[in-house]
Amino acid sequence: MQSDWIKNRLFLLTFLATATVFLASFSTISKESAYSKSSYIPIPGSLIFYQTNTYTPEFNINADSVVIPLKRAGRLFLIEAKVEDETGNLVFDTGANGLVLNSTYFRNHVKSGGTTSTGVTGSVGTVEQISISKILIADLTYKNLRADIANLGHIENRRGIKILGLIGFSMFRNLEIIIDPKNNELKLFRIDRIGKKLNNRLADFKADHIQSIEGNTNILFLKGKINGKILNFCFDTGAETNAICSDCNRSIMNTLTITRRSGLSGAGSANSEVLFGRMNDFTIGNKQIPNMETIITNLDALSEAYGTRIDGMLGYNFLEQGIVCVNFVKKQFGIRFTKREEK
Amino acid sequence: MKTIAHYIVLLIVLFCTLNSQAQYDPDKVCRIENGQLIFSINLKWSEKEKKEVSKLFDLDSTLIAQVYSGKSVIVISGVTWNVKKVKPNLVELYKPVQSKADINLKINDVYLVIDQWMNFTGKTNESSVVFGVNNFALSYVFTYGNDNAMFYLPAYKTAGKVYIAGSFNGWSTTQTPMKAVKDGWMIDLNLKPGKYSYKYIVDGKWTTDPNNKLRERDAAGGYNSVVYCCNHRFELKGYKDAGKVVVTGNFFTWNPLGIAMNKTSDGWSLPMYLRDGTYAYKFIVDNVWMPDPANKNTRKDADGNTNSFIEIGEPYLFKLKDFTTADKAILTGSFNRWSQDELVMEKTEKGWQLPYVLAPGNYEYKFIVDGLWITDFENPFSVGSDATKNSFIALKANHLFTLDKFPEAKSVIVTGSFNGWSTQGYRMIQQGGKWIFPIYLQPGKYTYKFIVDGTWMLDPFNQLYEQNEYGTNNSVLWIDPF
Repeated sequence: MQSDWIKNRLFLLTFLATATVFLASFSTISKESAYSKSSYIPIPGSLIFYQTNTYTPEFNINADSVVIPLKRAGRLFLIEAKVEDETGNLVFDTGANGLVLNSTYFRNHVKSGGTTSTGVTGSVGTVEQISISKILIADLTYKNLRADIANLGHIENRRGIKILGLIGFSMFRNLEIIIDPKNNELKLFRIDRIGKKLNNRLADFKADHIQSIEGNTNILFLKGKINGKILNFCFDTGAETNAICSDCNRSIMNTLTITRRSGLSGAGSANSEVLFGRMNDFTIGNKQIPNMETIITNLDALSEAYGTRIDGMLGYNFLEQGIVCVNFVKKQFGIRFTKREEK
Repeated sequence: MKTIAHYIVLLIVLFCTLNSQAQYDPDKVCRIENGQLIFSINLKWSEKEKKEVSKLFDLDSTLIAQVYSGKSVIVISGVTWNVKKVKPNLVELYKPVQSKADINLKINDVYLVIDQWMNFTGKTNESSVVFGVNNFALSYVFTYGNDNAMFYLPAYKTAGKVYIAGSFNGWSTTQTPMKAVKDGWMIDLNLKPGKYSYKYIVDGKWTTDPNNKLRERDAAGGYNSVVYCCNHRFELKGYKDAGKVVVTGNFFTWNPLGIAMNKTSDGWSLPMYLRDGTYAYKFIVDNVWMPDPANKNTRKDADGNTNSFIEIGEPYLFKLKDFTTADKAILTGSFNRWSQDELVMEKTEKGWQLPYVLAPGNYEYKFIVDGLWITDFENPFSVGSDATKNSFIALKANHLFTLDKFPEAKSVIVTGSFNGWSTQGYRMIQQGGKWIFPIYLQPGKYTYKFIVDGTWMLDPFNQLYEQNEYGTNNSVLWIDPF
């Protein structure tokens, strides 16, 4: 099941990245029209069967909080880490349920089961689980973890940067997490059993909008509104652009502006199209965010992978709207929007 | 009466404006409705507008042409499009939105497209910068000499940890901690002359160097500090009464504004980074152009003006044995776009030679002896074969491809992302029983394979490999920035 999920996830990463590059490439429109094609392996699989991994780090310093500098590679956020003896970058990808490591560097590590090789197209390679004894991230140490391995070479080649793997909320679930994209910081605070910061002198995060987190997975789902309809979005820092389903309600589709399309076929294969545009009427809480870039595509595969209906993904374009605070113990998501003059 | 006439004119103007706006607005061309992807096409669009729509929405020009010709059903590349007339000059072109089952393409295609786009978007490469000058607010926060760069941050005394991250360490946030010193933080780095961008990380927070006025926008919309590790100092003695002295040259495309020099106790001076190569320059003292009086190395340009010359970097001595009876020998190569007359070699007792300064890199070259193109017999490294064979040199090579296997093989080639996977590739040579090929590679990731007597294979001694778009594997090589 995990392998299916990873395949879907990888498909989406590739897809969104492709879409982003496409968008970027169109900013200078004089070039030849480029086109996008994505790999998709439609295998039913669902996160509801996926055991939620949670890892609690040890703080190397006697501190209640730590600031991890985020690096940027295009629209990806990277965290420098040492995984066993390899130093490199982990993509901060809250759309990833667990820890995923790049097969280029970790294929020879001790297998811990979970092996499934579907071989439908062989396109993402065999997915296996391995055991990892130690990961260092800034002043945090993680011990004895399990990780899925997958080929992430395409991200490396696209960005020219060493990618050891993907990490999402599973690594930070027992901490209060503040994502500050403007300052490229990930702030982590130690919290108690009821989710309060250990250091009670530290002020609470001031949010413009707070939403409660439903479910128990490492994936964060947010309710947003388009044209009065409530939609279920996945909060995904690894998505280089937002996404919205192409089969949403007509009243939602009417509010989108479609500005680009890419739809060419490879030899012998069916046409595959990607649509780009803007969400003109997106609201979260009381805050309307106009003109968010989005791709418009069929998200059935993702819905299957996550085991819940997904209407869209809130990625980079959403993240750059402000500072986000996530506390899985309190089951709270908060966002403080960047005021215009701060941007 | 006059007022009514005014209103009528106004209405007509308004109508015309609205009408012309309705004709072409790319934001209103495409929509999704009830599972249909619909394009509203105005039959009065100009050719330019048609072309733009075709490009924005990836609609085949023949498809658009057929819409204009009045067809109601169009089949293009296996996709059926319908056309419906909605207004006299407005038609709707539509087809169902793709369902999940239809989105089924091979990942190979994705990689190919992404690769194309990456080349298209291009990456900035600091090593290709020709020259640069520093601009620090305080002179003592950065010093450079003998490959040692000292960075001093006189601030953040109470911080717990400060790191420096930049292009010199692959922007590592953890590899280069600074030392706490009096009133701040300091570090010595071993850096070659060149341009570097950097930032400090103070307790996890990125900060630009507060005392460095030279900044560049980064990809994320912020700023990075920029420093040049200088390898040349322009100096002009005297002229103490001059108001302004600048230096300009071919490195600055002879920009007459020049780069301002600093007044010193005995004249004018300017430290600068210049990439390896040969440069012509002049000083401009209060708008009067003059060659460097202290530099005897001058040459006349095509207009008869005398320019001063400097060579940065060590020259490589290209040598050709024999051919002593020839009249002329020319050096030509990828470094001068294979110019057939630029680099005339000097005749010696045993043959021909030419010292020539080149930046670190990989070069192909040949000699032209009295019109005859020949490879360098003394150099065992070559690219291509037979008629297309060129001599190859890697200046300041930083990697040696090695294959300690197949001693009996006739031909071993290394090819990869560094040469566009050319099957002509780089021909390895046998030395001490091993196949080797030295190469200069910029920091970054490379994928490669060996071709042994026509058979493609992974590097058997490199554990790092990844799957490629053809479902086979490529060896992976990282060149570190240090």
